[in-house]
Amino acid sequence: MGKVLEVKDLVTTFRIGKKEYEVLRGISFDINENETVCMVGESGCGKSVTTLSIMDLLPNNGRVVSGSIKLGGQELTTLSSRERNELRGKKMGMIFQEPMTALNPLLTIGRQLTEGLRLHKGLSKEEAWKVAVTYLEKVGIANPEARMKQYPFQLSGGLRQRIMIAMVMAVEPSLLIADEPTTALDVTIQKQVLVLLNKLKKDVSTGVLFITHDLGVVAEIADRVIILYSGRKVEEGSIEAIFSKPLHPYTVGLMKAVPNVDEDDFDIQPIPGTFPNITEDIGGCRFHPRCPYATERCRTEVPAELEIEPGHTVCCHKVEEEHRK
Amino acid sequence: MSDERKVLLELKKLKKYFPVRRGVSVKALEDVSFSIYEGEKFGVVGESGCGKSTLGRVILQLYPQTSGACIYHGRTLDEMCPKYLAKEIAKLPEYQKKAGEFYQKSLEVDKKAEVLKKEIDALSALGTAKEVKKEAALQKKLSTLEFKSKELKKDASRQLREGSRTVGSLILCKDLPAVQALFDKAQKETAAASDSIKKFRDLEKQYEEGRVAGKADAALKEKMEAARKEAQGHVEAAKGFRVKAWQDYHGKDILPITERTLDPAYQAKLDGNYETGINLGKLTKEEMRDMRREMQMIFQDPAASLDPRQSIGKSIEEVYVINTDYPADVRKEKTMELLEKVGLKREHYYSYPHALSGGQKQRVGIARAIALDTRFVVLDESVSALDVSVQAQILQLLGALSEEKHLTYFFITHDLGVVKHFCDRIVVMYLGNVCELAESKELFHNPLHPYTDSLLSAVPRLKIGQEHSTESVLEGDVPSAMNPPKGCPFHTRCSKCMEICTKEKPPIVEKEPGHFVACHLYDKK
Repeated sequence: MGKVLEVKDLVTTFRIGKKEYEVLRGISFDINENETVCMVGESGCGKSVTTLSIMDLLPNNGRVVSGSIKLGGQELTTLSSRERNELRGKKMGMIFQEPMTALNPLLTIGRQLTEGLRLHKGLSKEEAWKVAVTYLEKVGIANPEARMKQYPFQLSGGLRQRIMIAMVMAVEPSLLIADEPTTALDVTIQKQVLVLLNKLKKDVSTGVLFITHDLGVVAEIADRVIILYSGRKVEEGSIEAIFSKPLHPYTVGLMKAVPNVDEDDFDIQPIPGTFPNITEDIGGCRFHPRCPYATERCRTEVPAELEIEPGHTVCCHKVEEEHRK
Repeated sequence: MSDERKVLLELKKLKKYFPVRRGVSVKALEDVSFSIYEGEKFGVVGESGCGKSTLGRVILQLYPQTSGACIYHGRTLDEMCPKYLAKEIAKLPEYQKKAGEFYQKSLEVDKKAEVLKKEIDALSALGTAKEVKKEAALQKKLSTLEFKSKELKKDASRQLREGSRTVGSLILCKDLPAVQALFDKAQKETAAASDSIKKFRDLEKQYEEGRVAGKADAALKEKMEAARKEAQGHVEAAKGFRVKAWQDYHGKDILPITERTLDPAYQAKLDGNYETGINLGKLTKEEMRDMRREMQMIFQDPAASLDPRQSIGKSIEEVYVINTDYPADVRKEKTMELLEKVGLKREHYYSYPHALSGGQKQRVGIARAIALDTRFVVLDESVSALDVSVQAQILQLLGALSEEKHLTYFFITHDLGVVKHFCDRIVVMYLGNVCELAESKELFHNPLHPYTDSLLSAVPRLKIGQEHSTESVLEGDVPSAMNPPKGCPFHTRCSKCMEICTKEKPPIVEKEPGHFVACHLYDKK
């Protein structure tokens, strides 16, 4: 399995007023071919900023300060914005949360679907149309020829998201970034989209970076999970490891805060305190103000990444001390 | 189940149509009927567009209902004495008269139809080409007549139904003026009782103010006692008149207004319409406004429900400025206490919404909703916009508040995990219809309706390793509410669809005690 994406020590900052604040504080991870990596965390933890950094779509006040992003072995951070523009859509595609805002309301579905194919694959209008139709079939849209001539407002949310997926996958990118693609959808439609994404991933053999805050969705789709908290990775591991043996207190807390449909006597336990703002200056482990096990060391020293088992890493002093014993 | 529990809110065949253009409307709610008990956390789930939010808003009368009724039992008629009561009593003879008129008209139409039928029979006996053409024309005429008669009969029973809301089956009485007189007397007593109760409240307030200031006034206390007794007397008297009307006229001397009126089953049905609570849809604007002191709403987006230019304290205090006449320092103190109660700090009185996180803003929304003597709260996706760890905090707070203040929640959400653990009973809605209603555990263990079943299986589980089933994935989208499918609304997506489902709407049946379902799979005995 080749590595599709390698991110190393990525630091991204945002300028607010005259000061620059770190939003990503050194994040490293890889994505292999044909693998779905889920990035989980609460709003403001840097999930979306990670994807925007990879795509080079950061707003004007944000910039990647250091670290490297490699797509299929090619370093991206040193490329010019023009060169990166060529990679976008061709090598890495992105699906957004709100399918209505991602589609142009003034153009037909067909026009929008064929645009990428003609641009990136150099197909003629007719060829692109044919490919687009086959992809619409693949994403389970009945009567694709008629749909090609319709406008986005004529379609439901679930259909629009399918079209977004078809649009991105038709170009066959090596990396697919899905930023909360099912959050705006109803559960029944969400299920349809998740099943579809799993199927397409196998067909096209792409690496998928799936951003979500819903642990249920993670269990459904992920091969590997990365838990982010306030700009840092706190835990990473295979889905089995994370769900059966969560180590970091934050991961454990998250699992207890999500109401579990399968259990009868589930006591919803919140994590005390509030999520820190990026402008807040918290020394040591960023989670320590909310952590029940916080010690003096947690307040001063940033925990290093520790591999507990192959592939299962965690950044926590408490786990480290227990592991050493 | 335990019927001793007090019903707080009763929905009767609630309908809400939003007109789009002539002849076309979005059918957001179709015949929704159920009861909500006092102190209960009642959950509503369904996909977007199923009418959950509309239902919440119709209950609070933020949208007027198209037909049906919301009956509120939180306050008695004696306490409130709404204005519609007297009007309805005055209208009783009119209802009866109109019902008779409509029915007579329908009989006339029936006679015409009878004549036509004979003509048609005569024509069809001849059977030449010319006659066949003529016959077709007459046939068409006949069907319009039949339709007209049906509509008139419906109008007649509609009139009787309206009347029965105030007096039950007594609307059928021959001696309606006497019944009317008795109810009128009862109503006057109710009005007097309501006045006495108001007087009592005023005195109580004066007395409390005096007591806080250190001067308990014994004379006031006596006056209070007198007012209370007076009120009680009026309430008893009102009850007496109603009971007398019931005893003297119920089931006796029934007018044969329509052929159904002599049927005891129909009379019982009319009795069932009798409203003992307050019909929210008929209250005047001012009365409803007063009602909102105890019926509140918490919205989904806490940021949008706060004014960015108003400090948190002022936002909450406004409730007191509008609804009470507390002096400024009392208002401020009350607000600060509220802030602490919902887990904020006193300092937050001076902050502005932008300085608060999403969870904190939602706490402000909660504080505002419970500021007065709230009893019933509609929570419209109130935790959906929050992150899981904060969502859990808010749920805990809501749970604690409901116990402390004995609140009843109407909890609208699409998150099945949250309702399962937060709510006592759950209703599942689809396209404006109730599919299933059961206690939450029962619903999750034993889902009866195919829609509930597929909804539950679509929820992402926190379990791994199991091969996720793809067979129960619901195909297609929710149909448009402008043109809902005939028969069972769910039949277009249902895997167990039968012939009858496309034609007839399934009735709601109680499959097991407390477990209601509307599906043809279960309506056979």
